[in-house]
Amino acid sequence: MSTPTVIPRQRADQQSEQRPEADRPWVTVVWNDPVNLMSYVTHVFMKVFGYPKDKATKLMLDVHQKGRAVVSSGPRERMEGDTATLHGYGLWATIQHDQ
Amino acid sequence: MKVRRRAELIRVQLADSESYLLAGLIDDFAAMLEQADAADPAMQRLYPAGYSDDDEASAEFRSLVADDLTTARTGRLQACRAELPDGSGTISLDGEAADRWLRVLNDLRLTLGVRLGVTEEVDLDSADPVANIYHWLSAVQDLLVSQLMA
Repeated sequence: MSTPTVIPRQRADQQSEQRPEADRPWVTVVWNDPVNLMSYVTHVFMKVFGYPKDKATKLMLDVHQKGRAVVSSGPRERMEGDTATLHGYGLWATIQHDQ
Repeated sequence: MKVRRRAELIRVQLADSESYLLAGLIDDFAAMLEQADAADPAMQRLYPAGYSDDDEASAEFRSLVADDLTTARTGRLQACRAELPDGSGTISLDGEAADRWLRVLNDLRLTLGVRLGVTEEVDLDSADPVANIYHWLSAVQDLLVSQLMA
């Protein structure tokens, strides 16, 4: 399992020029891991989000090649729901504020 | 193992040894879920943190979703276990049943993957019987998903 890069908390002085944290939307991120098959991950994105095959494949390739991909965005509760659903499929997903 | 698609149904043909192997893997996995050892790396992989940078939010997330995940996971295991033939035989799966089998196969692969220390860089020892089971599960899952998407 390639370990997800831990996103360091931004320091207050770095944050001052960005939107306040509360205004930024939440996202669900899927991280690369060495066990989940590329075909299976594509299937999961199609099944869970109803994405067409080409979009699901592109997201899967982002996960595989870049190490992570944002797969959905919206209110925090919905992102927690998406993340729990993806955990039920064995994908390595986390919730975070949009960067 | 043969996987064929006929109209809306996917037919999975299992040999004796394959049915028994899957039954044993599913039973072992069910026992591990029941034991629920939070220190077991396989359990940590099956129930990952919800937040990569916030332990408190992750603990809260876990308390909200872990029981439901386990209930659903156990239900899928039992349904697949009940469909396994006693010996050789064929299982017919519609789209939902195929999705359930994919998830159970994935849970088994994740668990074996942790036990084997699978990484993207290192090839597994081909003399290791567990590694061969892992590869076989991967092949079955890949066949099933390709038939489902076809």
